[in-house]
Amino acid sequence: MIALKDILVVAPMLVLLVASLIPVMIKVFNSNREPAPFVTIAYSILGLVAAGFLTASMSGVKQTAFSDALVLDGMGVWGTYLVLGSAAFAIMMAYDHVDTYKRLFSEKCFLMMGSVIGTLTLLLSNDLIVTFLGIETMSLCIYILIAMSREEVLSKEASFKYFVLGSFASAIFLYGIAMIYGTVGSTQIPAITAKVGELLTNKNHLFYFGIGMLILGFAFKVSIFPFHFWTPDVYQGSPTPITAFMATAVKTATFIAMLRVFQSTGYQAEPKLMSALSWLAVMTMTVGNTAAILQKNFKRVLAYSSVAHSGYIMIGLIAAAFGDNYDSAAIIVLFYLFSYSIMTLGSFALIGILEKKVGVGLNVDDLKGLAKKHPVLAAALTVILFSLAGVPPTLGFFGKFSLFGVAIEQDLYWLAFWGVLNSVVSVYYYLRPVVVIYMTESDETSDELVATGGLAKATLVFTAALTVIIGLASSPLLEMVRAAVLNRH
Amino acid sequence: MPTSAVVVDSISSVGLNHYLILSAILFSLGVVGVLMRRNIIVILMSIELMLNAVNIAFVAFSRSLQNMDGQAMVFFVMTIAAAEAAVGLALATTIFKKFREVNIRYFEHLKG
Repeated sequence: MIALKDILVVAPMLVLLVASLIPVMIKVFNSNREPAPFVTIAYSILGLVAAGFLTASMSGVKQTAFSDALVLDGMGVWGTYLVLGSAAFAIMMAYDHVDTYKRLFSEKCFLMMGSVIGTLTLLLSNDLIVTFLGIETMSLCIYILIAMSREEVLSKEASFKYFVLGSFASAIFLYGIAMIYGTVGSTQIPAITAKVGELLTNKNHLFYFGIGMLILGFAFKVSIFPFHFWTPDVYQGSPTPITAFMATAVKTATFIAMLRVFQSTGYQAEPKLMSALSWLAVMTMTVGNTAAILQKNFKRVLAYSSVAHSGYIMIGLIAAAFGDNYDSAAIIVLFYLFSYSIMTLGSFALIGILEKKVGVGLNVDDLKGLAKKHPVLAAALTVILFSLAGVPPTLGFFGKFSLFGVAIEQDLYWLAFWGVLNSVVSVYYYLRPVVVIYMTESDETSDELVATGGLAKATLVFTAALTVIIGLASSPLLEMVRAAVLNRH
Repeated sequence: MPTSAVVVDSISSVGLNHYLILSAILFSLGVVGVLMRRNIIVILMSIELMLNAVNIAFVAFSRSLQNMDGQAMVFFVMTIAAAEAAVGLALATTIFKKFREVNIRYFEHLKG
């Protein structure tokens, strides 16, 4: 039976659903005339804020709903905040972006909120089939959102590529779930994690196969090395606000779902699994960083940078699954996801601000003269790029510092070494735009670099401020996350 | 002409492994279809084939474990498969409008 407690756990999702439906309903009852974009965005942001407050009101106690299919714990609560925040900023960017503005804006907001509902389902899922449903709800909305861009060629190609590869990966993921169901007899994550050690020690081939397929499906969604090839293409072809949403909320939720699956000491029974995952992490970082150096298009640089960041986060995941202190590593992963999301939102906001024609990408070299024309935006971007490169005292530095610290704590020196080496390499391509902005002369007469979009500018400046403020005072956030996650038991 | 007893005997000896092998074959066919074919409609059909192969595996496991969860999952998978087909075909029509053909060979604009 469905109890009130179950409804309360999903209340944020229901609020989001209602808030996303209102603008579409206004449109339907107003003889299909688009409501003012301001009205649409106001309802969306209100819904996201209300969902945040509802989640906050339920935090503190671990709750389960729908016969343990969903679980709301500290990790889920903080993941929810992060996803809602990312979605709010992505919608703000979409408000005046050239690819998404005006035409069908209420539908775009509806789909974006639908995707957020899927993301929250994924975050809170305690059952692999619910994880699958969450991934699909989230992705299906995004496929349509990409294809709805005003740009006609690149977005369609990006959408279809993402659709085919995404469905392919989720079918593989589902096959993995079937194999795990066959060997464990349940798809509930606690039931699976309790039996992992036993099944891995007994060399149960079906289970090996299942867990391999499961990791493969996750790896695709967060673009881990052999499955990262879609990332630059899809990120480049998508409208920038949607790219920002994909790079932050989707990645956050999938990594947290991975953390839930890896919450077991049983994985230590198979050292080969650990070395395989470590190799994937190393390859992801290396491939992401080297490929980013070769890119001209700024969006592709950031896409490869997000691949590299997935590799860094994998280090934290490995420390959580194969170390002896799951909680400390999980907290650091969550903290790193915070820092990564804030920086990524800021950098994509800048691209959105400077894009003014559909289908014309922004190259790194196009940024020259930005310091003279828009000194505030240039400074904000510089702060964010320094943070992405991991220069102290920004948020990115503390994120990386604690991530590599937890790897060393769990004796993963090799991984920490590769992580540091890759961070050094990444400085090159993060600082190249800064060099272009401040040290390249531009001709005064050019009318390039028109900055549009008040809300997107606000996002950029706000995220830049956050990277510095949280960077200077990172311990309160870390403590809050720690307290929430440890409260799980 | 085989007697009915032989037929019954050979049917009752069909066990979990047979279903899993069938499921694996169908799944592999789907994988090959997605990777090798260029026509968008065929790619969509191959994805459906993969999802239905998973359904067979779920039902077979459900039967052998005497656990009804697997049967219920099939409904979820079917729902998702339907939603995916809807989105995929919508994309296919958009692509057809643009390129006058549903083939992925036009996808060469995104390069780095």
